[in-house]
Formats: sequence, C-alpha cells, structure tokens
Amino acid sequence: MNWSEHGEQILQVLSAGLLLGCLYGLMCAGLGLIFGIMRVINFAQGEFMMLAMYAGLNGVALLSPGRAWAFPVAMGVAVIVALLFYGMGAATHYLLISRVSGARALGSLDGGHTGQLILTLGLSLVLQNGGLMLFGSSPTSISNAAADTSWMLDMTDDITLFLNQARLWSAVMATAAVGLTLLLMARTGVGRRLRAVASNPVAALYMGVDVERSFRTAFGIGLALTAVAGVCVATFYPFQPYTGFDFVIIMYAGVVLGGMGSVGGAFLGGLLIGLVQQLSTLVLPPQLQNTAVFVVFLLVLLARPQGLLGRSVERA
Amino acid sequence: MVFLQPQLRNLVVLAVLMATCITAILTLSPYPLLVLSLVGIWAMLGLSWNILGGYGGLVSFGHAAFFGGGAFTVAILFHDYGVSPWIGCVLGAVVGGLLAVVIGAVTFRLKGHYFSLAMLAYPLALIPVFTWAGWSEVALPLQRTNPIAYMQFSDARIMPAITMVALLGCLFVCLFIERTRLGMQLYAIRQNELAAQCAGIATMRVKLVASLISGAMAGLAGALYAVVVLVVTPGSVFGMLVSSQALIVSMFGGLGTAWGPLIGALILVPMAEILNAGLGARLPGVQGVVFGLAIMAVILVRPQGLFWAVRDHVASRRPALPVMPSVALQAAPAAPAKPPGDVLLTVEGISVRFGGLHALSDVSLEVRRGEILGIIGPNGAGKTTLFNVLNGIVGTTSGAARLGDARLTGLSPQEVSALGVARTFQTVRAFPRLSLVENVLVGAFGAHRSDRAALEAAWVTVRRVGLQDRALVPASLLTSRELRLMELARALAGNPTLILMDESFAGLSTADVDGMIAQIRQLAAEGVTVAIIEHTMGAMVRLADRFVVLDGGRNLASGLPDQVVRDPRVISAYLGKRWVEHAGT
Amino acid sequence: MTGISRRSLVAATIAVPVLTKGVAKAEGKTVKIALLTPLSGPLARSGELERIGALMAVEDVNRNGGIKALGGAKLDLTIADAGASVETVAAAAQRLVSDNELVAGIGAWASSYTLAATEVTERAKLPWLTLSWADTITGRGFHYVIATSPPSSSIIPAALEPLMALAAKATGKAPATIACINDDTAVNQSNMAPLRAGGFDKLKLKVVMDENFSVPLSDAAPLIQRLRRTRPDLVLLGTTATSDSRLLLQTLSEFGLGQGKVPVLAPSANWGTPEMLKNMGASNLEGVIGVAGNWGSKQQATLLADMEKRSKEPWMIQDTLSTYGHVLLIADALERAGVADRDKLMAALMATDTSDGPAKYYLGGHLKFQSNGRRANPVPAVFQWKNGVPLTVLPEADAQAQLTWPKPA
Repeated sequence: MNWSEHGEQILQVLSAGLLLGCLYGLMCAGLGLIFGIMRVINFAQGEFMMLAMYAGLNGVALLSPGRAWAFPVAMGVAVIVALLFYGMGAATHYLLISRVSGARALGSLDGGHTGQLILTLGLSLVLQNGGLMLFGSSPTSISNAAADTSWMLDMTDDITLFLNQARLWSAVMATAAVGLTLLLMARTGVGRRLRAVASNPVAALYMGVDVERSFRTAFGIGLALTAVAGVCVATFYPFQPYTGFDFVIIMYAGVVLGGMGSVGGAFLGGLLIGLVQQLSTLVLPPQLQNTAVFVVFLLVLLARPQGLLGRSVERA
Repeated sequence: MVFLQPQLRNLVVLAVLMATCITAILTLSPYPLLVLSLVGIWAMLGLSWNILGGYGGLVSFGHAAFFGGGAFTVAILFHDYGVSPWIGCVLGAVVGGLLAVVIGAVTFRLKGHYFSLAMLAYPLALIPVFTWAGWSEVALPLQRTNPIAYMQFSDARIMPAITMVALLGCLFVCLFIERTRLGMQLYAIRQNELAAQCAGIATMRVKLVASLISGAMAGLAGALYAVVVLVVTPGSVFGMLVSSQALIVSMFGGLGTAWGPLIGALILVPMAEILNAGLGARLPGVQGVVFGLAIMAVILVRPQGLFWAVRDHVASRRPALPVMPSVALQAAPAAPAKPPGDVLLTVEGISVRFGGLHALSDVSLEVRRGEILGIIGPNGAGKTTLFNVLNGIVGTTSGAARLGDARLTGLSPQEVSALGVARTFQTVRAFPRLSLVENVLVGAFGAHRSDRAALEAAWVTVRRVGLQDRALVPASLLTSRELRLMELARALAGNPTLILMDESFAGLSTADVDGMIAQIRQLAAEGVTVAIIEHTMGAMVRLADRFVVLDGGRNLASGLPDQVVRDPRVISAYLGKRWVEHAGT
Repeated sequence: MTGISRRSLVAATIAVPVLTKGVAKAEGKTVKIALLTPLSGPLARSGELERIGALMAVEDVNRNGGIKALGGAKLDLTIADAGASVETVAAAAQRLVSDNELVAGIGAWASSYTLAATEVTERAKLPWLTLSWADTITGRGFHYVIATSPPSSSIIPAALEPLMALAAKATGKAPATIACINDDTAVNQSNMAPLRAGGFDKLKLKVVMDENFSVPLSDAAPLIQRLRRTRPDLVLLGTTATSDSRLLLQTLSEFGLGQGKVPVLAPSANWGTPEMLKNMGASNLEGVIGVAGNWGSKQQATLLADMEKRSKEPWMIQDTLSTYGHVLLIADALERAGVADRDKLMAALMATDTSDGPAKYYLGGHLKFQSNGRRANPVPAVFQWKNGVPLTVLPEADAQAQLTWPKPA
C-alpha cells in the first residue's frame, strides 16, 4: 500500500472511530451518571437501550414520515423516548433498585453491591427474553434515507473520506445530549444536589437533601441518556432483543476508562473506546477489535484505576 | 462456629448425599441423568465461584475464563492431538487453576466494583481470540474402538456418576476450607481487609491460594462439561451466561457456604430445563423471563440466599446452644523477665505530608521495653497518623522508624505485624459476622503454625481479657467495652512485643476505664510494651509511665506525667494561653 | 413493522397445539418424528421457518393418507426448542431420544447445534436429517446422519464455476479478480478453506482482498474503503447474520459500489430472506447473487404458490423448503422400509436413489446419498435478486429466471 492508501485508511478509520465513539460516549455517560451518583452497577442498561430502540422504531412507524424524513423524525422521537425512559427509570428505581441500594443497603456487608448486581442481572434476563417474546427475533432498524447516504469529501486527488449521514448526525445529537447533561449538573439546582449526593450522601442527608429522590432522578437521567443513544443507533444498526448485550461491555469499558465518578469522563471514555475499536483494525485483524477494547480496558484498570478523569478509586 | 468443628457432621451429610446420588443414578432414565450431570457441573462452578465470592467477598464476573479454559483443554487435546479426556480433565483443572492465579495476581490489586468489572473482561476478550484462531466449533470425536479409554460410555449412568464423584470431592474441599484457617482468613478479608492485614494476614497470598483452588474447580467443571455436551464453542463456555450462572446459583442457594451452590444448582438447573422443555417451543424466551424473575424475587426477599433464610428461620425457633470447645484452657504463661529500659522502638524525624497538609513534621521519640508510653496532644496533632506510619498503613515523606534492629517504615501492615507490632484502632475494626473468639482467632494465625494451636491461643487470650462468657457472640452484638477488649485480645493473640493502642478509652464509663487500666497494667507486667494514644487525662495520668506530647504534627514535650501535665506549653496547646495561670490545680 | 415475525409466531402458535407432543388429535396408528430447531435466541427466525416447513409437510402427508405401507399411519410431529446454546441443544436432543417411539429427527439449523444434536442421536441410533452445511457433520464417520445440502467445502466452488462461465458469456470476459469479506463463523471459514488452498487459482481468480470480521460488525466503512481501492471484478460476502449482511451491502451502496456496480456473491441463505428486502430495499438488492443449499424451483411452481399461501411467507427459502423435503423424504423412506424401525428406516434412507418423489424438493434432479450421509452430487442453489424477489438462476433446469451479470463500469 502506498502512502495515499494508508492515509485514506487512517482517515476513514479515525472518522469511524470518532462518530461511533460519540454514541458510545453517550451510552457511557448514562451508565457513568448512575454509577457516579449511586454507586450502582446497572447490568440491565443495555437492555433498556434495546427497549428504547424498539420504542424509537414504533414511534417513527406511528408517524410514518417516509424514508426521506425518517431521520429527523427519529431524532424528535428520541427526545420523547428520553422523557419516557426518564419516567421508566424513576419507576424502576422506586420499585426495585432502591430496595437493594442506598439507605436500605447500608447495613449489609458489602454496601449491597452484590444484591444490586444480581437484581439488575435478573432484570436484564427478564427484559431480554421478554423482548424476544414481544418483538420476535428478526433484526430490524428504523428505515431511513440518511443511513444509506454518505457525504464524499475529496481531501486530495487520491484520498476520499466517506461520512455516513445518519452516523454523523447521531454523533452530533449524542454530543449535544451530553453537553446538556453537563450543563444541568453544573448550573442547576438539581445538578448541585446530585453532585452533593454523589460526593457524600450522608452529609447531603443531614443537609436536608432527599437522597432517595436524588438517586431516583439520577437513575432516570441515566436511562434517558442511554435511550437517546439507543434511538440514534437504531437508525443505522440492525438490532434485535439480544442487542443490548453487544453494547454493555463497551459501556463498562468506557465508564471505567473515563473515570467512574465523572459524566464528562465517561463520555470521553466512550469516545476513546470507539477510537480504540476502530483504530485497532489498522494493526490487528478486524476480528480482534473487541479484544483490543478489552485489553485497553484491563490496562487502564491496572495502571490507573481511577480512569482518566476520575478522582478517587473507591469512595471512603 | 464452624472452625475446627469435628468432621463428623459434614461426613454424615456427604454420605447421605452420596447415597441419594447413587439411588438417583440407578433409577433415572437417560434424559434426567443428563440433567443430573449438568446439575453437578453447575454446582461445581458455583462452589468454585463461592470460594472467591462467598468466602472472600471477591465478586468475580469472569469465572467463565477458567470454565472455558478447562473445556477447551479437553476438546483441543482430544480433537487435535488424540489425548484422552481422562487426562484432559486433569489438565483442564490445572489450566483453570493456573489461569486463576495469573489473572488474580494481576487483578487483585483492584477493589470492589473495579475487580468485578475487570474479571468480566477476561473471558469476553477470549471469545474473539478463540474464534479467530479457528476454534469456533470443536467437537469431541466419536470413538468406536475402545471408547472407555476416551470417557465415552454407552451406559448413560457412568457420566453422571463421574460428575457426582467430582462434585462430592469439590464439596469436601469447600467444607475443609470452611473448617480451617484459609476459610477464616477469607472471611476476615471479606469483612474488613485492612483489619485483616493489620492482624497479620498476608492477604495477597491468601487470595492467590483461594484463586488456585477456585480456578482448578472451575476448570474441572468445564472439562466435564465438554465431555458431557461433546461440542465446545467459545460463546457457550466463555460467555456471559456462564459467569452469570455461577453467580446466580451461588447467590440463590446461599452465599458463603458450601451448601449454597449445591442447593442453587439443584433447584435452578432442573427448573430451567423444565421451562425449556415445556414452554420453550410455545413461548420462546419464557424460560429466561421466569428465571430472571425468580432471581430478582430471591434477592429482594432473602438476599443472603435460600440456605441462610431457612437456617435463620429454623434457628429462631430453637435457641442456639452454646458449643463449648474441647480445648483445655491453660493459664497464661509467665512472661520471661526482660530488663526494663532498653530501647525497643526508635522513631527518627518522621514527616508525613498529605498534599499540602503537613500531618507530621520531623517527629522523633523512643519507646523503652516494658514501659507504657502515653502519646497525647490536642486534636489534629497527628497522633493517629504516627501510629498509621508505624503500622504500615501510611507511608512517610521522610524519616524512619526501627524496632530493635529491624526497619519498621516502608513495610506493609502484615509485615509489621509479623515483626511483633500490634495495633488497635480508634474505631474498632471488627469482623462483624464473626464471633468474638473468631475475631481474636484471626490475630492468632500469624504466630501459630497449626490451626489447633491458634484456636487455643485465641481462647487463652479471650480468657486473659475476661470475656470468655461472651466468646461466641457475634461481634456486631458486642458492647463498646467488649469490642475494645476484643480488639485488644486480637492484638495480643499474635504474641506481640509492642502494642499500639489508639484511644482505647473512648466511649467507656468510669468503671470500664478502671477495668481497662488494670488490663493494660497487667499486660505491661507480663512484658508487653504499650504505646497508647488517649485524651482522657485522668486515666492517662494513672496509667502511663511516660508521656510524649505532639502538637500540630511536631514534638512539643516529653517526660514524666506529673511534669508534662504542668508544662505551660502543654497547657497552652490544649487549653490556650489564658489557662496557663490556672495550671497546677 | 414486526409484522412478518408476529404473523409467523401466531401461525405457529395456532398450529402447535394440534401437533406437538403426542397430544395430537390423530387417531389410530401414528409414526413419531421430531424437529429440533432454535425457537428462542438469536436464531429463532430460522427456527420458525423450519417449523413452518415441517408443519406443512406433515399436514400434506397426513392429508394424502399417511404412510400407506404402515396401514395409513399418520405422522406425529414433536417440536423441540434447541435453545440458544450448545448445552440446551444437547439436553433437548437427549430428551427427544429418550422417547423410544421416535423413528427419525430433523434439525438443528446451525452447524454447531447440529453437531451437538447428532452426537446424541448417533449414540441412540436415531436417523437424523439436516440442512446444515458444515463438512464436519458428515466427516465424523457417523452412520445415522443424512445431510441434504452441499457441504461447505464445495458450495462456493460449485457455484463459482458456472457463474464465471455465464459471466464470460454475458460480458465477453471472465472475472479476473475477487475480493472476499467473511465473518469468522465456522461455516464461512470452512466455505473459504478449499478456495484459499488453491481453489481460487484453479478458477483463475486473483484474490485482491481477503478479510475476516467478528460478528457483530459495528462499522463496515473501513472494510469497504479498502475494497473500493482494490477495484475487484467480483465481491464475495460471507455472512450469517442478517444485520452484518445489511451493513456491508448498505456501505457498498454508500461508497457508490452498490446496485450491481460490482457483482456481489453471497454464499448464505440469509441473503434471500424477506427480512433482507425489508431492511435493504429492492433497489439495493438488485442483482445480488446468493448461494444456498436449496431454493425454489420452476418445476415446483404450483407447490411453491400453495406453500406461500399457507405459510403467509412471500417466498420459500432454504430453511422451509429443505425441512419440507426432509419430512417427505422420511415418509418416502418409511414406505420403502415398510416398518417403523430406526435401523430399517436408516437403511431405506441411505438406499434412496430416485429422480422422483422426494427428489422434487431438492435441486439437481437426482437424490442419492454417499456412504457418509452427504448427498451425492449435490448442487448448490444460486439465486439472484430481481425486482425485490430472489429467484433461482442455477441450476438451469430449475431456474426461475436468468442470471444477469452487471457490466463492468
């Protein structure tokens, strides 16, 4: 391969990594928020994302805008689905998660972590297989024109960069969603309360913050973010009820990479994972992409467990 | 208390189980026999997981790595090299054990969630590797000539029998662990790793030994799985489902006990199979839903698992009778008289900085053998930090400490403990689920090679501090005074030369304080050197031979108690300059 | 939306109570056969299609008087879910063979599942029929397995040869370069093995790209980017999951290589499913050439139309057709054996040598089996998408339409 072939390949892979990485980043931000504030490992996060994908699919079908308009409509539906999943998250927390985390778990030996893990693991089994019963197993996706078209950028005479429209706009949407969340955390009362609860729930409790309600809010926002990611991904990636699992590993890798206490960090972590996954194809056979992700994940955990932007390894 | 309990009860239960298995194997038809084999295999994997997760609190999401390692060892050796699965199974266990040690050595430095997530990555990273290497489907060849040499039996009862034998073996190993020091050490690590280290447990070594056993068991389970199912694919042995099943079976049945995974597998595996058979064709996916709901229900209602739920229920109906140990209690040995006064511990110029905070600046002192040294000073003076340095919990920015000739700074807590320095803490670090004597026992392991000797020493120490009537009460139910005495006993059980006591009188009534003073004096008389941090001046003046005063991280004064108490600098430090005139009263 | 799958689920649920597990309303004598196929998990769609085929076949046999040599005994079909893992397949197979009245079985679609199931059925001496391709299935020296599809090792070469001849005729020049993208499943790798070992050289094809990816594929752009540079005359896409097929085809389109600009050869039945049409759209699929173990034949036009009506599937694909054929093959063998005995049935199956009867449901005209159970002289089915329908183009005797080769740019 001559240098222009190399150059083209590197550029293409880089752009693929960045675009996909923004979406991974959004997924990680959702999971990272939940973990950062509540110290809950939500094993069912991928399954909720899968449900959001189906919600998006049905939402767009309901409006039946035709292929040309399907993408923008899907983005609108994403916002609605996010609100819906906020509610679902709050309900899930109230009914299930709160029983094995937060105040009720303080007495147990390990802070309730194992209980939470099993509960969300069971939940993921229920959602996955329930999805199979409800939706069937055929892979499907939101049919839209944007997913089949790319912008061709002629960088030089010999190098052309292809940017898939659906992926590009989804990446923009994802970044916007994360940006909005960071703003929420930094500037609003809700955000301040969440940050207080994240850094010291007992102190926050004494200061009059309704800690359980904050946890509920955090869980809701976390699911809402992942729901947006789901609808975006549904526009260009065929999914079926077992798809959640494909992404959960990437989500965890990104969250740990970016630092488990930080939403912005989780986003960057997801971005990095996307880049690692795609860039690895330059040196490794494409089959070993995900192995590359895991290796990086393990290296980060061992060398710098607090991740790139995280503060402390374990809360005291 | 399970420690060193006579084997009889366990052996009886195992014998009953074996009889049930034999009956089952002789009466069931081939299809239920297959399910029986699978129950055995999953129970073994659950037991393996329980060693790290249940006993040690190290929740692993990656046991599939060892399971798959064992399965592929058998499959590849047989398919590619014609090696019989009889040998393959043994090698599978070896591979599983080695993998676990390697992975553990690398991953144990992580704690809590990080550890669990890291473990998740290992088997999932292996799936693409195996597929890429061409092992996406390895079938064990059918041997028509001499099948028995290759673990292929025409009689459907042989494989379940082999699996049951393997399971009983693993069960025996787990019960053995529960009865001996490895189990106790794991329990301690699970409940409070730092306290375990300070009590002298070499935590890394304990974890690695546990990993070796756990990995070998999982590898064996995987190897037998390959022989039973006959086709191995990376997804089916390294997949998330395998790791989840190990976890679910243990947690459902009962965490931290060998019976748990057994119960879990016995209930869940046939249930999944029945669901699959009955509803799978009509409502695909329903077995997953029912399984998931069942697990969620257990966790919400009885999180410790079925075994403990049933046992607690039964125990609440019948009051537990205290089991007196069959160990003869001997009087504490008379301590050999040592010449008082020669220097035991030297601290030279120790400084500790936490970021911008100078916790200790150039602190020096000496502790003489056999004396009771009181270390006092206002809040924030750095007293506890000093102890943390001596104990190995915190590192120094500069300076050094020596115990006799041995260097004390820069060692880990268990190394410090091994040198004969014991520590009690400001907030008692107990192992809440263990009884009082078990808490003390943990401290005894360092100084005693045999389990029996350690148990004797623990009882002796418990008697020494006068708590023999409360010995079997779980630490979470002890009073403040009892906890402090327990911690003292734990420190003593390791026969230390020097005890560092941190605010042992906090929260005690006057009568209790008098009792503690008597205890400590008794210790000193027996030849143990004591350095004690305290605020209760009245008590300290009566107790200590000498004082060292710290203020703001520096040496302020030292000397006999009467002198130090009247020293204007000391009064000024504690009460402010205004009170100096009032000194002397 | 999820219309097709829901329909088939409903159809199956209605049909199931009548025919599963011996709660059958069939009176008098019955002969029990079984279908083991994935009905839950990621392969459930293929399993459903197999089930539809089997149900229709059993209905037809029973409607025509059952097995006359056994006094009009009706076929009684037991359907078992292979589940989502090799372990569940083994358990399900074990469950089936414990029923001593069972005389034959069909399944289990995926090669690894079939391997696991046949390990059990071979030891129980239960005759087993499968449409799976993997060579290993008939390479173990088993005596109770029948595989009606061509083996992986010959599927692509057997299709490429006539294709290239046709191409030469259509364009005046045979394709000289080929680019291959395969997933790393055992089936596709074993498809490629003989080609990589000199098969391509024999066909005078230069391989300008040979890449494998891991399922699931997240982004096809880097692969297609590389492919675009190599400017191949022919592209081979070896996938098993519909989502990967779709991603590759869509990316080809995006990069301006779609819609027949470069001929695409896809040796997998999943490229001819209605899901592909729904996901890709007719224009993207136009001209794509697929290879499968079995496909519709013009000689079966009436039967196909009838099956489409009954199953509510828009067209019949390999899974439905072959399973239908398997049931009829069993019925035919039972007639010849004259007794519902496993060994005699197996012998009758192996003795099959006909161009009529069950041979009508497979392409290639003549039905006969080698000593290892693999079909003798198997002919792969080559189909091509035309106006939103995948029509058989090879073998010519069964072709529903003519192969068109896109002209090179």
